[in-house]
Formats: sequence, C-alpha cells, structure tokens
Amino acid sequence: MKNDLKVQRAIFNITQEDLANKVSVSRQTIHAIESNKYIPSTTLAIKIAKVFGRGVEEIFILEESD
Amino acid sequence: MALKMLLPNGFKKIGWVLLIPSTIIGFIMMLSPNDDILDLHSTVFALYNDEILGQNKHTGFINTNITNTLVGVCFILGGIMVGFSKEKKEDEFIANLRLSSLMWAVWVNYILLLLSFLFIYGFGFFQVMIYNMFTVLIIFIGRFNFLLFKSKMTATYEK
Repeated sequence: MKNDLKVQRAIFNITQEDLANKVSVSRQTIHAIESNKYIPSTTLAIKIAKVFGRGVEEIFILEESD
Repeated sequence: MALKMLLPNGFKKIGWVLLIPSTIIGFIMMLSPNDDILDLHSTVFALYNDEILGQNKHTGFINTNITNTLVGVCFILGGIMVGFSKEKKEDEFIANLRLSSLMWAVWVNYILLLLSFLFIYGFGFFQVMIYNMFTVLIIFIGRFNFLLFKSKMTATYEK
C-alpha cells in the first residue's frame, strides 16, 4: 500500500510532529506510515484523512501486490 | 486492544531498578563455583519442598537459603515491569512493535532451547534450564527497545 502523506503534509505545511499530535499518535508512527513500514488501522487512517479534508482512498492507495 | 494488560509508564523505572541488579547478581551466582556468594536464610512457607537428599516432601514453614528466591522474584517482577509498561506515548505502532518483539523473542528462545536439547548434556543442560527461565523476557526487552531506538533514530532524519 502506498500513501500520499508527505505530499499532503507539504500542501498543508504540517510537520510530522504536528500531524502526530493532531491524530494522537507518536511521531515515529507517522514516519513509519510515510516510509511504508507500517499500515495504519482503519481508525487512524480515517483520522489522518480528516486532517487533510480528503477521503481515505485518496490518501492510502492499494497496490497490485496487496 | 492489549493496552488493558499494560502497566502504567511509571512502573518502567521501578522495573529497571529491580531488573539490572538481579540480572547481575544472578549471573555472578550462576558463574560462581561457590554456593554461598550470598547466604540469606529465612523462614518461608513452602507449598512443596523436595530437598535434595532430604527426607520429607511436605507443605509447611521451612528455614532455607532464600537468595535464589529473592533474585528470581526481583528479576521476574523487574522484567515484567520493564517489558509490559506503557511507553510515554503508547499508540498502535508501538503496540505493533511490542507484539512483533514478543513473537521474535519466543521464536529465538525456543530455537536456542531446541539447539540446547540437541547439543548440551549433563550438568550444562541443568544450567541451560535455569537460563531458559529468564531468556524470553531478556530477549523480548532487548528486541523491543532496539526496535524503538531504531524507529526514533530514523524518524529524526525527517521533519
């Protein structure tokens, strides 16, 4: 699964730390999601999408291998 | 999730205070040829007492060397507090790291135990059995803290 998090953060000019605080997780979690080392739970994915005012499928994209 | 089974973060420091000295003393006691490095006698309640070269197996109060008991209890309590206390910011990623470290520790521990069964015999195996009581916790704590450190280090390079 790939994600658009870095681009969205750049558009909204938010750091990893800011995003982490907004969705109540640690900065390591946001970094792990962006590096594709961790797939967030449904709840967290929805929370992140809400921060950027987008749908979950616009930010988290399924790949062929999934 | 399994957050309900975690202790509050404050227990972590207490855990380290119990774990480190008991590990050091335990190692010294295991490696020492003498039985009486520390000899602390006390009357304790034994549910089952099967003394080597002793006469009776019975339940009751006995007066015995409780050094092993103290070291073992401190190690187990310390290890559990260190390994199963919440991190300052406990979230799903940390919980995932904790679960994968636990699985990894069980795998590694049982592979080592299997190799010990196959290649170690006699009194050496008795020592292996004693070490094996403690290695799951140690491997888990080591692996979990390593993964936490690695994730913190890689996260600092990005903004």
